[in-house]
Amino acid sequence: MHWAWIVLKKELTEVLRDRRTLLAIGLAALATPLVLFVVSQVSSRTATQTYTVGYSGDIPTGLDILLRATGLALEAVPDPAAAARLQVDLGVSFRPGEIDEYYDPTRQSAQIADIRLQTILGQYDAAQAAAALKDRGIDPGILTPLKLVAHPLSSPVKAASNAFLSFFLPYILITMILTGGFSAALDSSAGERERRTLEGLLLTPAPRSQLLLGKIAAITIVSLAAAVVAIGSMFVALTQISLPGSGAASNHITLSPTAVPVMVGLALLIAFSFSSVTLALGTLAKSFRQGQAYVTPLYFVTILPASIILFIPDFNPSLAYYLIPILNAVLVLRDAIVHDSVSWPALTVTTISLLATGALSWVAALRLFTREALLTK
Amino acid sequence: MTQAAVAVERLEKTLGANRVLRGISFQAQPGEIFGLLGPNGAGKTTTLRIICTLLSPDAGQVRVLGFGTKTAPAEVRRRIGVVTADIGVYPRLSARENIEYFARLCGLEGAELVRRLDGVIERLDMGSFAKQRAESLSSGQKQKVAIARAIVHDPEVLMFDEPTSNLDVLASKEVRDFMVESKGRGKCVIFSTHVMHDAERLCDRMTILHQGLVVAAGPTEEVRGDKRDLESAFLALVET
Repeated sequence: MHWAWIVLKKELTEVLRDRRTLLAIGLAALATPLVLFVVSQVSSRTATQTYTVGYSGDIPTGLDILLRATGLALEAVPDPAAAARLQVDLGVSFRPGEIDEYYDPTRQSAQIADIRLQTILGQYDAAQAAAALKDRGIDPGILTPLKLVAHPLSSPVKAASNAFLSFFLPYILITMILTGGFSAALDSSAGERERRTLEGLLLTPAPRSQLLLGKIAAITIVSLAAAVVAIGSMFVALTQISLPGSGAASNHITLSPTAVPVMVGLALLIAFSFSSVTLALGTLAKSFRQGQAYVTPLYFVTILPASIILFIPDFNPSLAYYLIPILNAVLVLRDAIVHDSVSWPALTVTTISLLATGALSWVAALRLFTREALLTK
Repeated sequence: MTQAAVAVERLEKTLGANRVLRGISFQAQPGEIFGLLGPNGAGKTTTLRIICTLLSPDAGQVRVLGFGTKTAPAEVRRRIGVVTADIGVYPRLSARENIEYFARLCGLEGAELVRRLDGVIERLDMGSFAKQRAESLSSGQKQKVAIARAIVHDPEVLMFDEPTSNLDVLASKEVRDFMVESKGRGKCVIFSTHVMHDAERLCDRMTILHQGLVVAAGPTEEVRGDKRDLESAFLALVET
């Protein structure tokens, strides 16, 4: 371990003096709050924005007041269908006993205006029916013979918060661990070959396994630092930003106590595996640029499982799926965030899978690092 | 008879489809500069890489101060220092940090490490740029860093592989002077070059390789024979 420690210290010294790596970590710290701010602003604007309804005919009594109250401005137009193509967000033709609606589903503003119109019309119809029944001396309660009383088992605000974190946190964690260590890994492998320092390093009495261990440890630390910076800045930003669905501004997003140790453990395992893989791929390259070409596909291989929660929020696979690296970490972390609990069989399979991935990556890196072709090709 | 510093016996090596070494043998002694000469592709660098354990021979063996490169590679690496034409230094470390890194990997630490570092920096007259980052050093200064890191652990065997090919006249002279000085200290210096003039001036004995075979070996005067100079002798050997 003595030699590995020497290599680790030297590699970290170089990283701290490397503008590329520091810039990557700095951007990670800035990018997450920036993305959250933009998402928050867009969502807030969408929720409060007024959309225009171009109409023709006579508006039923009282409906105009309800529409304006929900952010739908009314504008009289001669041809609602034509107006809905460009001029307004929604076109409506009021006729006796019928309302014709015209909208372009490819426009987000038209979709939102449509939802608002449908909601208001539903409420308006119910109110009209209730008033008609009351006029005839009939209890309007017959319209709702079964009254639904909802009892949410957790705070809706917390649920929204968890839903957001269950996608965003694993994604940030995995992509930052991967990309945060890219530069350091390539500099430490392909960079050594390109600078012609590798031969001198291999000429020392230090065992190659120790040299490799020192390098992997350094890359792991840099990767974790990048992830900590990105996630830290994300939580700082979340204390300042009100996210859609979080309701009152004072309801900030927080991480469940169970998720924290799970996240730390998974991050360590993933970082070690990624460091070994990127170092092994970098060792195949003769230059930093060539190394980038080798390592970049790794990003695309990991991005899909890392973002699966976005596509399938309720993805609940069998235990066998937890053997798939990255996907397993995302699922375990999601469960810890959403349910504030850990499925021990799933966590065990995930840990074994990630340990095996790390061990295989280590063996591959060591084999590549000790082959003669490293110096002769 | 004293033990050879480096003993190479019937060395064979094939890289890809190229049979680089075809059974070469030689011995280099302490306190001499031993020349390893030959045209490009003769097998000089491959031989040196086998001696310093970076490559394994397909057949034959190498012993450095009695230690086999296959059986005790770490012991061999502790006893050798290698300087090559490719001056590889860590650009973001200072000259001193570069040397210190290799010194630590060679097992030096504490007061002994500081003493060796100070000693080698003074010996190679590196005081003026020792704290400068390597990325800002000239080629000659980088070559001094490369030499310093190769000798900081005071190895018994020094190997120079085309050490002056990228250097100007003054820097080349300093490297040659250093080789002579090391010989005076009782070190075994193996000098691989295709600059015949340098070899003739510096080497006590030599081996000339051509197409992976030894085509001449012995004291420099003997290899030169009745030819006008070593270059003429060399050309006569490799052009026949």
